Amino acid sequence: MLISYNWLRELTGTKLTPLELRERLTMVGLAIDSVDEKDGDSLLDVEVPSNRPDCLSHVGIAREVAVIEKSKVQSPNSKVAKTEGKASDFAAVEIEDTELCPRYAARVVRGVKLGPSPDWLEKRLDEIGQRPINNVADITNYVLHELGQPLHAFDLKKLAEQRIIVRRAKTGEKLTTLDGVERKLDPEMLVIADAARPVALAGIMGGLDSEISLSTVDVLIESAYFDPDSIRRTARKLGMDTEASKRFERGADCENVVNAQTRCVDLIGEIAGGLATEDAIDVYPRPQPVRSVTFRPERVESLTSLRVDAAEMDRILSALGFVSAAAAKDKAKTFVVPSWRVDVGLEEDLVEEIARHVGYERIGSELPPAAMAGEYQPAEIKRRSLRRALTALGFDEAINVSFIDAAHDEVFALAAVPQLSKHSSLVSLNNPIIEDATRMRPSLLPGLLQSLRHNFNQGTKDVRLFEMGRVFVGSEGNELPHESESLGLIASGGASEQDRAQATRELDFYDLKGALEAAIAAVNLPALVFTGAEVKHLRAGQAANISLADGTVIGSVGALSETISAGYKFRQRVYVAELNLTPLFEIAEHEIKYEPLPRYPSVVRDVTLLVGRNVGFTELVAGIESEEIDDYRGVKLVGTYEGQNIPGDKRSVTLRVEYRSDQRTLRDEEVEGRHRRLLDSLLKKFNAELH
Amino acid sequence: MTENTSQQDPKTQVETARKAFEEEFEDFVRLGDYAEVLKLPLVEALLKRKEFEEFCRRYTGKKGTIASLKKLIGQSGPDKRAILGSQVQQLEKWISDRTNQVHYSLSAYIQQSQLERDRIDVTLPGRRPRRGHIHPITRLRERVEDIFVSLGYAIEDDREIETDFYNFDALNIPANHPARASQDTFYTTEGFALRSQTSTVQIHAMQRRGAPLRMIAPGRVFRRDTPDPTHNPMFFQVEGLCVDRGITMAHLKGTVAEFLRRMFGAQTVTRFRPSYFPFTEPSAEFDFSCFKCGGRGCRICKQSGWIELGGSGMVHPNVLRIAGVDPEIYSGFAFGLGIDRMCALMYGLDDIRLLFENDVRFLEQFD
Ligand SMILES: [Zn+2]
Repeated sequence: MLISYNWLRELTGTKLTPLELRERLTMVGLAIDSVDEKDGDSLLDVEVPSNRPDCLSHVGIAREVAVIEKSKVQSPNSKVAKTEGKASDFAAVEIEDTELCPRYAARVVRGVKLGPSPDWLEKRLDEIGQRPINNVADITNYVLHELGQPLHAFDLKKLAEQRIIVRRAKTGEKLTTLDGVERKLDPEMLVIADAARPVALAGIMGGLDSEISLSTVDVLIESAYFDPDSIRRTARKLGMDTEASKRFERGADCENVVNAQTRCVDLIGEIAGGLATEDAIDVYPRPQPVRSVTFRPERVESLTSLRVDAAEMDRILSALGFVSAAAAKDKAKTFVVPSWRVDVGLEEDLVEEIARHVGYERIGSELPPAAMAGEYQPAEIKRRSLRRALTALGFDEAINVSFIDAAHDEVFALAAVPQLSKHSSLVSLNNPIIEDATRMRPSLLPGLLQSLRHNFNQGTKDVRLFEMGRVFVGSEGNELPHESESLGLIASGGASEQDRAQATRELDFYDLKGALEAAIAAVNLPALVFTGAEVKHLRAGQAANISLADGTVIGSVGALSETISAGYKFRQRVYVAELNLTPLFEIAEHEIKYEPLPRYPSVVRDVTLLVGRNVGFTELVAGIESEEIDDYRGVKLVGTYEGQNIPGDKRSVTLRVEYRSDQRTLRDEEVEGRHRRLLDSLLKKFNAELH
Repeated sequence: MTENTSQQDPKTQVETARKAFEEEFEDFVRLGDYAEVLKLPLVEALLKRKEFEEFCRRYTGKKGTIASLKKLIGQSGPDKRAILGSQVQQLEKWISDRTNQVHYSLSAYIQQSQLERDRIDVTLPGRRPRRGHIHPITRLRERVEDIFVSLGYAIEDDREIETDFYNFDALNIPANHPARASQDTFYTTEGFALRSQTSTVQIHAMQRRGAPLRMIAPGRVFRRDTPDPTHNPMFFQVEGLCVDRGITMAHLKGTVAEFLRRMFGAQTVTRFRPSYFPFTEPSAEFDFSCFKCGGRGCRICKQSGWIELGGSGMVHPNVLRIAGVDPEIYSGFAFGLGIDRMCALMYGLDDIRLLFENDVRFLEQFD
């Protein structure tokens, strides 16, 4: 809101320069965004907090300046010079809905001469960004910016039967407002009507039909108080935001209604001539209650640490318009809140009034005495270790927004969200802001795929990303949705090396699986189990379910299916994985157990088996272990081979088996015997051949 | 040669050996000159060394000339033994003196050449997988968490989809407050709100832990802003809360100032000015002295020397009461600030939409 420095000086006689005012007002809570010089005046752009509608005028700001400078506001002295007749002789006012309109005052000025405003008035409005229209309209606007009370001038002759009825609109009623837009009204909205039809949208904007014009002779000046919520709802519904609605919806000063109207009528007489009525029709069926606050002065120090003497407290409060009532018991005082301070209702509010005018800068600065030990969230150390393990392997951390396109529904297997059953559903937004992004993501993969596409489009072809974040599915009944924490991975392109232009090989399934394994090892959790599976969004034959040792499936990993890949127009293989971290973080970390170092050397034997391609490595290992061969200590993969000289349905697997005794050094022939037994059973069990 | 010389008397044999050596050594003598050796290619030098070593062995080896001459010493009469001994010794020394130089220059050259051949470019990049990067928001969030844990705060988080009660009512946000309107807050079709601030976590924590309490809640929040260079409909925030007996605004100022000094440097000055938030009373916004210009005024601080960072205040008595804390016994302060905003300031981002695009070229810069 723009405030004219010259105008403010007329009201306060301030001795502060515009730049000093900027600093001082900012420090009492009225931040000044900018100070601009214009035609010998300075304009202060004040950021008025939403709870301070009393500051939405020059007098409002002047009140704060007066407290700062220990001066007084010189309120304009209004005396209407020429009057004749009672307002009720020329018009009638009736409030149908006193809930939404507790007070309505109408006063008539007859025989006005409409025309352009005098220069001083036009200049003043123009400076604060208001377009001059004609003298009467400009005066209502001027008083609004001077005193904060919105006013409206009707052409009295255009009001049917010269009657004002404040009522709710009827279903189907329409009103063309001053901006020329035809508004469809409904009974939620309060209107000012005449005997026939709505003539204004109460507290928001006048109607075109009853607008004053150069041919207007008699005007009716409206000054009223409307229910803030009603004005806000109507303004929102109609997408309107006017100088009037801005003030009414935050709370105008109900006791300022007649005063502002008098000031307006006074100025009309002075500038546009005419004869005002002696009085106003002031319908005030619901007087606003007088509010008072009990105040214990010691609360200032206990909340702010400021020591302020009683006289200074009283000075600040009374300068702000608070009136001290009879002292209550125990040194507590009672203050009557000025009608314009709609924000004050509690003792703490008065503490703030005193603190901000004493100055927050005078409050000390100290740490509270140490009282407790700091602590991270239970899984935070694990999250950090996961991130570091993955970045060490070349994955960049991504963060995607939580809402995704509904087009991704049904595309991805939500292994990471075990709660999703036939009864639950996805979570949708009622009011999305990004078009089509209506779903709360049940999976991190759509976001990661979008990020991958973005990188491809930017020419980055070697991409590895991970993301940790919440995923959502609905609950049954009226419960809050399920939220669980998910880890998503995506990889495509070459296994790039730091500072080298070219990757030495392409990434594949095992890079992603390895990354998951490394991540799990980094958080000291038991190894994950990978089982070949059919997964909706993964390429058949290169897909695995990921489960915990107890068999609970918590995610999947594999090559992205051709269909999805084609949908994104990807031209290179993409590998994705998703893992539900919530159950994972609940598992106990695996215990570290010390075993004495071996006292005797171990002997290893390599064996190359030709097995069916359907025989998995873990199956072979399980087969070996189930034989319970004496002194067997473990087996490791040497390598696998497919292709030339190997039948199409077979694979050659080379394993290294370790034997060791704790009692003695094993002799060659002992090992030979054991290894032979192992081989014989493997050949039988897996229908394998030695290779 | 030894066949013949064996017939001669020992002295002559010594002399013959010397001459024979000298004759043969002619082929190698120039190699005692390092400048000569340098002219040879490495392969030839290796060959020469082999030849030379064989030649030397014939004179000084176990079965060489010197060895057989030494045998003669034993066989000769006691009167000649001493003379012959010294003659053989002289010859041995004479040979070794002459050959040493060749040995030395050949070996030095060969060793040098091999080092040259194996010389590597130590400035080539080291061998390691490309390193990934932690997202800048996570980096800042971790830093904020570390600072507050060291100040004795607990880190808390809670639901992202909330009831109106936790998102608004418990925060003293009146039923008609504009923030509740569906143009500012996201709602699910079931009518739940996406949390618009992490203050929701503070209420849960107060209810669960009671007072006294010190905690911060970093996390994702949602507001219905259309994405533009300075807005995202989702961003990250951290809110802090300290409730105890005797907590005042001085503690608020001290804590926020300490945090900002640790975050932006020891010279950082913090300024508090009155403001309005429904959940605090009194309320304050805090600015910090521009870390770029130190307060003189620059583009980042819009020439004011101050950067607006967050909101704070003394927890509103209604909020304490709702969370089950008696405001007559306890008081508390709360503050909140945007991690994304801090990130934009710290790294000079001109468009915060970059934060959620996950462009590798962007992420790589946060090393
Ligand atoms: Zn600056």
